[in-house]
Amino acid sequence: MKQTKTLAVLAALPFAFAASQAMAAPSCGANTGQAASGDPIIVGGIHGNAAPGDFSAATDAAAAYFACVNANGGINGRPIDYRVENDQWNPELAAQAAAKLVNDTKSVALVGNGSFIEMAVNAGTYKDADIMVMASACAISECFETPNIVSTNQGPLPSNLGAVMYAREELGATNVACIGLNIPNNGIWSCEASINYMKSHGGDGSMALLNPGAPDVNSALLEAVSSGADTILINQPAGLALAILKAAEEQDLRDAFNWIAPTPLYDLSVPDAVGEYWHGHIYVNAELAPFQVNGPDAQNWIAVMDAHARPEDPRDTFAQAGYLSAKFFTETLMEMDPADVDDRAKVSDAIRAIKGKTSDLMCGPYYVGDADFHMPNHAGYMVKIVEGGYEIVRECYEYEAAYFDPHHAIEKEMGLK
Amino acid sequence: MRLWHITPSGWAGLIFAALAFFLFPALAGNLWLSVFISTGCFTIAVAGVSFMYARLGMVSLTQVGLMGLGGWVMLRLNHAYGLPFEVNLILAALVTMVCGWIMALPAMRMRGLYLALVTLMAAGGLEILFATYQFPNGGDGFWGVKTGSAAPFTRPALATTPEAYLRYVVVIALLCFLLIEAHRRMKPGRAWAMIRRSEAAAMAAGVNVTFYKTWAFGIAGLLAGVAGGLLAGSLGLLDDATFRASESVLIFALAVVGGARYWYGALIAATLYRILPALLNNWGVDADLSFVIFGAGLLHAVITAPDGIAGQIAGALKARKAAKGRAS
Repeated sequence: MKQTKTLAVLAALPFAFAASQAMAAPSCGANTGQAASGDPIIVGGIHGNAAPGDFSAATDAAAAYFACVNANGGINGRPIDYRVENDQWNPELAAQAAAKLVNDTKSVALVGNGSFIEMAVNAGTYKDADIMVMASACAISECFETPNIVSTNQGPLPSNLGAVMYAREELGATNVACIGLNIPNNGIWSCEASINYMKSHGGDGSMALLNPGAPDVNSALLEAVSSGADTILINQPAGLALAILKAAEEQDLRDAFNWIAPTPLYDLSVPDAVGEYWHGHIYVNAELAPFQVNGPDAQNWIAVMDAHARPEDPRDTFAQAGYLSAKFFTETLMEMDPADVDDRAKVSDAIRAIKGKTSDLMCGPYYVGDADFHMPNHAGYMVKIVEGGYEIVRECYEYEAAYFDPHHAIEKEMGLK
Repeated sequence: MRLWHITPSGWAGLIFAALAFFLFPALAGNLWLSVFISTGCFTIAVAGVSFMYARLGMVSLTQVGLMGLGGWVMLRLNHAYGLPFEVNLILAALVTMVCGWIMALPAMRMRGLYLALVTLMAAGGLEILFATYQFPNGGDGFWGVKTGSAAPFTRPALATTPEAYLRYVVVIALLCFLLIEAHRRMKPGRAWAMIRRSEAAAMAAGVNVTFYKTWAFGIAGLLAGVAGGLLAGSLGLLDDATFRASESVLIFALAVVGGARYWYGALIAATLYRILPALLNNWGVDADLSFVIFGAGLLHAVITAPDGIAGQIAGALKARKAAKGRAS
């Protein structure tokens, strides 16, 4: 009997393997398996890739999704011509990238943008040209407080708040030192919100700022340590965050503080990079679903990346966000009248009309709406860095702060709450 | 030289300005409009540093830092008072000029390498100030920095579109070159020529060396202030990374490569600084390759062309004219 069972399992293995292969095949757009061959629809994307950070993961993932769409029938037979520019963290280059993609090219929308610079420089250009930007790796306030940009990622303000909220409720944090970048619409903006949150709950907070051009991580760490904080929030891109953790390890500061971080530290390469010393001691807010949640969209994202991205392209939160933006954008185009998909104004209207799209990668619904600000994603997970990966310590939770009141009001108005 | 006499080189400059005014905005797409505007701003800044080097032999390695100062004042005034763009630009230029003077006074005791080092330290100081306090974005207080998104910037009423703004920059760049040329042809120009040959001789001839050298620093500061103000107007905001001390060194090196004695030397330098990287970017080539080209250009200038590319062009034109004269 036992032998029969073993044989049955062995016999089933090829079918299981075939089934897993079938599951691993990406599903994109019309999913026809036929390459699109009509007139291309031009879509742009801008990322910032230069010292001190590489924000190209989202455009890489969006490019992979669009390649997959093009290999699967495109948009009613028409491929997406996805053109990506790098602002190199330089305002002049950011303006030039937008001039090229928005004014010189008939891009119908921008998708997957990720930058510290370009949204501040180009928000006015997008508004004047009435083009919508479905961004994915937004890091500055203009991303969330202007009418033509909407992002699938949360940005540092909500992600910091999520991490600080968890630290206060679960780790007993009473005083948080936020190590941010000395950029008014990034580090200061997002650290200030966390400090205000702590103060509103009877705690305290402070910030230590790094010059992004010449970051002195030791000074910032010492400033944070001397602030009297019991919790250190590392509000930095992954590279600088790792440098701060290295400096803290050299001074053996691990057990003197709670260590928390927003989503840039959620990257599969980070647990190995931080080393055994930190395993079990760093709590990271994940703006999108952690990998082990592994719902249909999460699996499809990996399948798309495996099939259409380069092996070295990151598989991190920003890549998830890029995939989601590209997916929602593709679905929106496919729902439009095929005759209208070249019309920027109509595409912008269709994007503004997005309401209640869901994905297992996001905790809440994705929507755009016709408002002067957009932040559909303001709930996330909390994970802990452990050996070989991350352990979920808190499932999807909404962040509490008065900052989100206008967003909640809009969601209520749209019937999403 | 008579004040109003137009030399062949002057005619060439005026014709180029007319072409840039009428043709470039009409033909260029938005990408190149944006690149040309930046190039125009940096042409003005290079003109300042070239003029100091060519007329007085003084090396200033702080020009881009001063440009940042002009941009800082421009943004601060724009967000604080709502004055017309032109008033803000003039005030930004004057403030930068005064700062140029102040910086020049202690530097006046230095010459050559030491003067260059002092100006480089000033550029380093400005870099730290910009990185620490950031550029005004509509906030209150002296520094004018607020948390979150920047307030909108008001462009000149005459130039709200990129095409018009490029024309605006071209006109102001032309005025800046005319200012330098007017100085060259008047009393300061004669004093600078004497100082360049021999400070002792100039002093013996009754030239107030300190005054005229300080004046030259002021002119370079004024041009840097105008350039920074125009750049701020182009983008609506500024970032400290644009004004690092290393950029001041680079722009001086490019002024040498372009040819500091000629108006088109400044234009060549700014073209190398802004148009070449944009071209490389547009072709999908890493723009950092431009640094290799700059290095090769500098070696070329140091070894074979002390008057830079512009000097070589001028030499070739002169040789051609002489050959024609012999033939006829």
